Amino acid sequence: MMYTFFQHLSNMPQALSFGKCGKCYIVAELLVLACKTGCIYLTNRDVWYSFSASDMKEQIVRVKVAALAQIAAASCIKELECARIAILGKKGSLTQVQQGMKNVPAEQKPAIGALLNAARSSICAAMEARLLELQEQADASAVADVDITLPGGALPTGGVHPISLVREEAVRILRRMGFALADGPEIEDEWHCFDALNTPADHPARNEKDTFYFDSGKLLRTQTSTVQARVMEKQAPPVRIICPGSAFRRDAIDATHLSAFNQIEGLYVDREVGVGDLKGTLEYFLKALFGNDTAVRFRPHFFPFTEPSFEIDVLLQATGQRPRWIEIAGCGMVNPAVFENIDRQTGHSRYANCTGFAFGIGLERLAMIRWGIRDIRLLIENDVRFLAQFQ
Amino acid sequence: MNISKNWLATYIDLAGLDTSEMADMLTFAGVEVEAMHERGVHSDQVVVAQVVQKTPVEGSDHLNVCMVDAGERSLRQIVCGAQNYKVGDKVPCALPGAVLPGGWQIKEGKMMGHASCGMLCSASELGLPDKEHGLWILSEQYEVGTPVRQFTPTDTLFELEITPNRPDLLSHWGMARELAGITGRSLKADPGDTPLQTEPAAENIRLSAPDICPLYTATRIRGVKIAPSPEWLAERLIAIGLRPINNVVDITNYCLFELGHPLHAFDAAHVQGPFNIRRAHHGERFTSLMDEQYELQECDLVISDTSDNALALAGIMGGKNSGVTEQTTEVILESAWFLPASVRHTSRRLGLGSDSSYRFERGASAWNVLRAASRAVQLILQCAGGEAEPTAVAGHAPCIVPEQQARQSTVLEQGSAAKVFCALPQVQLDWRDLDVMTHASIPHMEAARILRNLGLKEIAPGCWDTPPWRLDLKRSCDLLEEIVRVYGIGNIPSTRTAIYVPETPQDRAHDFRCQLTRHLAGAGFWEVQTFKLIADQSTDPMIACVQYALPIKPLQDGDLIRVALPLSEDHAVLRPSLSPGLLAVAARNLNQGMDVLRFFECGRVFRNTGGGKGKDIESEVLGILMAGKLSPAGWDSLTPPCVQPQHLTAVLANLLPKQRVSITPAKLSRPAAALCADIQVNGQTCGFLARVALSACRTLGLPQDCYYAELDLRKLQQLATTPFKVRELALYPASGRDATLELPIEVQHADVIKAVESAKQKLLESCRLKEIFRDPSGEKLSTDRKAMTYSFLYRNPSATLTAAEVDAAHGEMLQALASKLPGVKFR
Repeated sequence: MMYTFFQHLSNMPQALSFGKCGKCYIVAELLVLACKTGCIYLTNRDVWYSFSASDMKEQIVRVKVAALAQIAAASCIKELECARIAILGKKGSLTQVQQGMKNVPAEQKPAIGALLNAARSSICAAMEARLLELQEQADASAVADVDITLPGGALPTGGVHPISLVREEAVRILRRMGFALADGPEIEDEWHCFDALNTPADHPARNEKDTFYFDSGKLLRTQTSTVQARVMEKQAPPVRIICPGSAFRRDAIDATHLSAFNQIEGLYVDREVGVGDLKGTLEYFLKALFGNDTAVRFRPHFFPFTEPSFEIDVLLQATGQRPRWIEIAGCGMVNPAVFENIDRQTGHSRYANCTGFAFGIGLERLAMIRWGIRDIRLLIENDVRFLAQFQ
Repeated sequence: MNISKNWLATYIDLAGLDTSEMADMLTFAGVEVEAMHERGVHSDQVVVAQVVQKTPVEGSDHLNVCMVDAGERSLRQIVCGAQNYKVGDKVPCALPGAVLPGGWQIKEGKMMGHASCGMLCSASELGLPDKEHGLWILSEQYEVGTPVRQFTPTDTLFELEITPNRPDLLSHWGMARELAGITGRSLKADPGDTPLQTEPAAENIRLSAPDICPLYTATRIRGVKIAPSPEWLAERLIAIGLRPINNVVDITNYCLFELGHPLHAFDAAHVQGPFNIRRAHHGERFTSLMDEQYELQECDLVISDTSDNALALAGIMGGKNSGVTEQTTEVILESAWFLPASVRHTSRRLGLGSDSSYRFERGASAWNVLRAASRAVQLILQCAGGEAEPTAVAGHAPCIVPEQQARQSTVLEQGSAAKVFCALPQVQLDWRDLDVMTHASIPHMEAARILRNLGLKEIAPGCWDTPPWRLDLKRSCDLLEEIVRVYGIGNIPSTRTAIYVPETPQDRAHDFRCQLTRHLAGAGFWEVQTFKLIADQSTDPMIACVQYALPIKPLQDGDLIRVALPLSEDHAVLRPSLSPGLLAVAARNLNQGMDVLRFFECGRVFRNTGGGKGKDIESEVLGILMAGKLSPAGWDSLTPPCVQPQHLTAVLANLLPKQRVSITPAKLSRPAAALCADIQVNGQTCGFLARVALSACRTLGLPQDCYYAELDLRKLQQLATTPFKVRELALYPASGRDATLELPIEVQHADVIKAVESAKQKLLESCRLKEIFRDPSGEKLSTDRKAMTYSFLYRNPSATLTAAEVDAAHGEMLQALASKLPGVKFR
């Protein structure tokens, strides 16, 4: 018995190494447990040790009880790891008890071995359970002071310009209807802007007070309809194109006018295109844009390059107001004179037996109607307080 | 043009039509109704009242407290400021609740402490022509309490927008004729259909410019008595917003608005001898009847006499001293036809327009010349008395019929001893064209009926005579338009047909632009749309100015394209770069307190090649501006850092994640840039990066950290949308080595990369800048030097590299760097 006692004592620094990170109350608890076994020795270093020379069994029970207490007492993962080393480590308390197996008589080995294994597995289970518990506690406290309701931090924000938004939507709808995009220069010649489009030489629109001219005699296109002439010059029928683009008129800038604005032009030329096609196309387009219940009307009008010509109104209802017809586009059947001009210019007679329709829609107007924008200048001022509303 | 409903109703039966039905009718005739004004008293609450008592208000020099009998049980107290009435007068009284023209509602109120329960009205307050100054004193005959509307006329005025192809609608008769044709309502007697005695003008009218004025008629009326117009005539003119002057002048105006043909009356006493219709002399002076002076040119047409003075500017305005006045006893009435282009040209050039020039420049019908003359003569004789000589006719109506048609065409004949002939143009119409246009949805019988109602006559199958007032009907498509317009597009079924179309390069460009826009918006940039016309110079930072242009290719003299006649100096030049617009946007938003200035625009820029003599080039570019703070300040980041060039470079590299984006020093400097560099993608230059000149930032009030990049959108698109195949993942590990290069401060990253690339080390996979160290104190490193640490990654794609191989490769690399970078030291 003395031998075992000393053996234990010699191992104490390791056995008690947990004490470095332990707390006094652990010691106290273990003391209570140890008293129940009746064999307690206290050293002058305030540590306890137990010894029973009579039986391995007692040792196993004692180490197990002490180990479980130590595990239960671990208050953090690091302490638990210390306990693991102190119990199961190379020189741990259980490891040392296990080393006593060699002194156990052979006939008792199975029983003692089973006891030892049972002690080990209950210690391991307790260790795992405690680890889980401590991890949960640690996880909980790691987020305990995070205020998830704090306002967002500052990120730079950005957005797409409303004219781009309506242009993209208009193009999306028209492409669904089988239109492809086309384009032309904004610095145009008079032929494409006026002559080809059947605008007489002395037409008021050709005045230099209404149109921006350059000293070269060229001009800034007054409408995207120039692209009609550009495309038909290059391409044989059928033609089914749209052109979103800028146009310029020498209008003073005010709440409803810009001297540079955006349009979307459409042209469909083929054999036997009729007024019904024009109507069906624009009704579909405007309903897709403004909603299926939108009422659309065609009012007879005049443009030199179409005949018959119409202006299209959409019945719109602003909250708290009577519904109003709002002019939204111009359209018509391509004037045969336009086809003749193109054929004369190209020297082919590709368009001789064609009919077709054309339309032009102001994008600023679409944006203004869609979002209730009262002053067209907001669309060119690019004030972020305005732009931010379209995010 | 203004149309009075009452006046219109004298020519067409409008029974049972209310004003909104009228407006719809006009709208679907293709006439835009811009506004409608109700005239006269519509409310029953305006009644006849008699003034019973009139007491001046103390402390006021004009107000009186009146007790009036409005036919009620007790007298009514009303405070009135007018002066022209006396006790016992009957006047209109608007009772509380009455709504006067203009939507003005009468309420009970107090004036200077006296209750006022209604309003005594003047004629103009009731929307009627004001006949006297002050209250409208009614005739004794009316009973008190009678609603005034029972004996005052009401009218509706339509403000109409007539399209330029329809000058025939610029009169009440013309409008009535159109509405009758469209609706089938019956038309009353034609006011222009009065026979007129004519005789050849012989020597009395000389047509010196028959190309501009081929037909001129003059009617001399002796013994006229100039006086105010009769009430009915004055009222009609007032109704459409004209001021009556005297009977003869009013009749010429009346005929213009009745039949649409402008007339002019000369005082015969101021006309010396025969008329000469001639081109103006160069520099000739003309004083209009409005007393304005004009200098004429040879392309202008004047009416003159033997004195050679210009009595009138043909078709536009009379002269100061030849008009009809109260002293006039003999008038000469002009009715003529002038070439539209000539009238328009003169009117535009002089900035002088009139109701007359408006009609002549749109095209008056020669057929109306004698009709208007006969109507005016009839009215002058009726209203001003006198005796008319036969109308002198000089010249012929301009022939609007093509020569090959002239022989078979129908000819209208007007006048007696001297005739005016108008040949009617014929138009061929093939019903098959109608069927194509309307998908055969309009019956031919119906279509023919529509044309006949509009005054056309089918003289042979498919051959139609057009009426003389419709100068716009020239071709088959003009007739188709009439049929569709009147039949109503609403009655033609909608069809939906489409064809397959190939995708175009513009389709791809549009898609790329959409993608790019969303990308940059997601990266925290605002898309803007700025004006394409910018200023040469401006002191306003919010006006885009050429001087701040940072185009991809530096500007040279003559590159800029200027409009000949700008609206203002702020919008005179086509932008050569997006930077001026973006800087102006930054300035505007900075003014609103924004300190994170991140904007971009996709759009066209313009320049001329060859100093203004070459081609005008339009190219699509992307401009990105980044200035001020990198991100907004927030509770979690109180002082965000300022923008540095690498931030913009990172944005650019992100646009082309698959390409190798490098920034190399630019060869050419730009005055608006403090620093400039080329943006190279896979070794190809596709844009330009600049730090905006600090002086420019100061002038514009912008932060000093202001960076701008402009990229060619087509090149960007080509690079970003190049198809790619997935790369195999590396099988063998890479091995890294760091090297710290101590360099003179002026050596740039681009120089290091160039040196690295020139080493052509096959095993090198990448070289990345890891850290830069500078010591402003000069303790650890001299201030004119910097230490740049690079991470070199080596890999053999087909084997694992040994440490010795990596060391060898790295050693070669360092050697190469040492030889290419003068002054380098390895640390």
